[in-house]
Amino acid sequence: MVRNEKISARQFGILVALYSIGTTILIVPAVLAEEAKQDAWIAALLGVGIGIVLVGLFIAVGSLIPSMSLVELMEELLGKWLGKAVSLTFIFFALVTASELLYFVGNFITTQIMPETPMQSINIIFACVVVMGVRLGIETLARSAELLFPLFVFLFLVFVIFVSPQVKVENIQPVLEADFKNLLRAAIYFISVFSLPTVVLLMVYPASVNRPNEAKKNFFSGVIIAGVTLIIMIALSILVLGVTTTQLQIYPSYSLAKKINVGNFLQRIEIVMAGMWFISIFFKLSLYFYASVTGLAQTLNVKDYRFLTLPLGVVMVALSMLVHPNTLHSFEYNRETWLSYVSTYGLFLPLLLLGVYAFRRKGRQDMATSSNETKSE
Amino acid sequence: MAVIGILAIAGIIAMAEVPRLRRKGHKKELWVFMLLLLLGTGISIAESLSVKVPNPIDGIAYLYKPINDFIQGILK
Repeated sequence: MVRNEKISARQFGILVALYSIGTTILIVPAVLAEEAKQDAWIAALLGVGIGIVLVGLFIAVGSLIPSMSLVELMEELLGKWLGKAVSLTFIFFALVTASELLYFVGNFITTQIMPETPMQSINIIFACVVVMGVRLGIETLARSAELLFPLFVFLFLVFVIFVSPQVKVENIQPVLEADFKNLLRAAIYFISVFSLPTVVLLMVYPASVNRPNEAKKNFFSGVIIAGVTLIIMIALSILVLGVTTTQLQIYPSYSLAKKINVGNFLQRIEIVMAGMWFISIFFKLSLYFYASVTGLAQTLNVKDYRFLTLPLGVVMVALSMLVHPNTLHSFEYNRETWLSYVSTYGLFLPLLLLGVYAFRRKGRQDMATSSNETKSE
Repeated sequence: MAVIGILAIAGIIAMAEVPRLRRKGHKKELWVFMLLLLLGTGISIAESLSVKVPNPIDGIAYLYKPINDFIQGILK
């Protein structure tokens, strides 16, 4: 059942773009402004550059055995038991991160938009939509991404056009003042949120994409679109709000949307603009959840993953209320632990898989040549 | 009150899925399903009664602390 689902290369590119924008658009400008001050956009540029290299790595891992998803690949390359064990930690990673994203949604809405609504109710409603989407399958998710992407682009363009009259160029000057180490720290934080989590998409690519070769190109272009969007957003935050205000906000791009004022008439449309990040966060969350659900189904060798969605959805909501007792906790986790946690799966695991694959192939070749030699003797 | 609500939701979920799984005779699926549902409801009920539940993220932070300190040391 899972095997029959195929999405087109174009849909995959859109999913990549929305996934990479995800929560990055909301939380990243503050930290980048804190680390690199007015040069935050340069750090983002650097981060996008490294991100493109990482996409090359992910594609290399995906191309090892194109008919297999990441979890199946692990089982194939690392052996049955070790593969299953690593898969389970990967599923745990995806599920915990999904519930962390759900926490972000709840926290964003309760602190910025609806302060009197309990967070549980928002999380439950949002989780219902995500569970519904994942239950309907990746094809449905991809098609809805295709439908919502133009809306996203439209909102983003409106956002940029309406905010740009308030740009103050002095805010970004002097350029290149940050020293290299700060710039590097900011860039590393950026890739830890922006491109390392993309490894989760290896559950979709290439096994569920109908033309994997075309999808390679779209993988790159999706990341580049997302990168440009984020660089513009970060640059605008600093240009309009200034470094100090940007770094003091939890959600700088939302405060940026509050600044929109066209002829003292079109004001306070930030909630319309928030539609933009609801779209991107929805897809990021759905893909994390999809990865954990299908991953678990593949680890347990069951054909249909659908029956897992509801109970795992309950677990996800329960975890989302548990993972961060307060904003400070989430801040600390994202600044400190997240980098090494996500690198385990986003950097170390792909390299390990590539290494094991090369080693085993070499071993097989050696065996083949030695058996040939014995034959010729 | 919250506990009753959680149990009701768990009941609805079980009613929606269990008959289908049982009809198909998927034993393993049924076990996994029940286990996960039990886990989810368990954590939810514990939270609603404000029982302290260990936070998985704190566990991760503890496990990764040495690597973390090392990386932060390089970057500082």
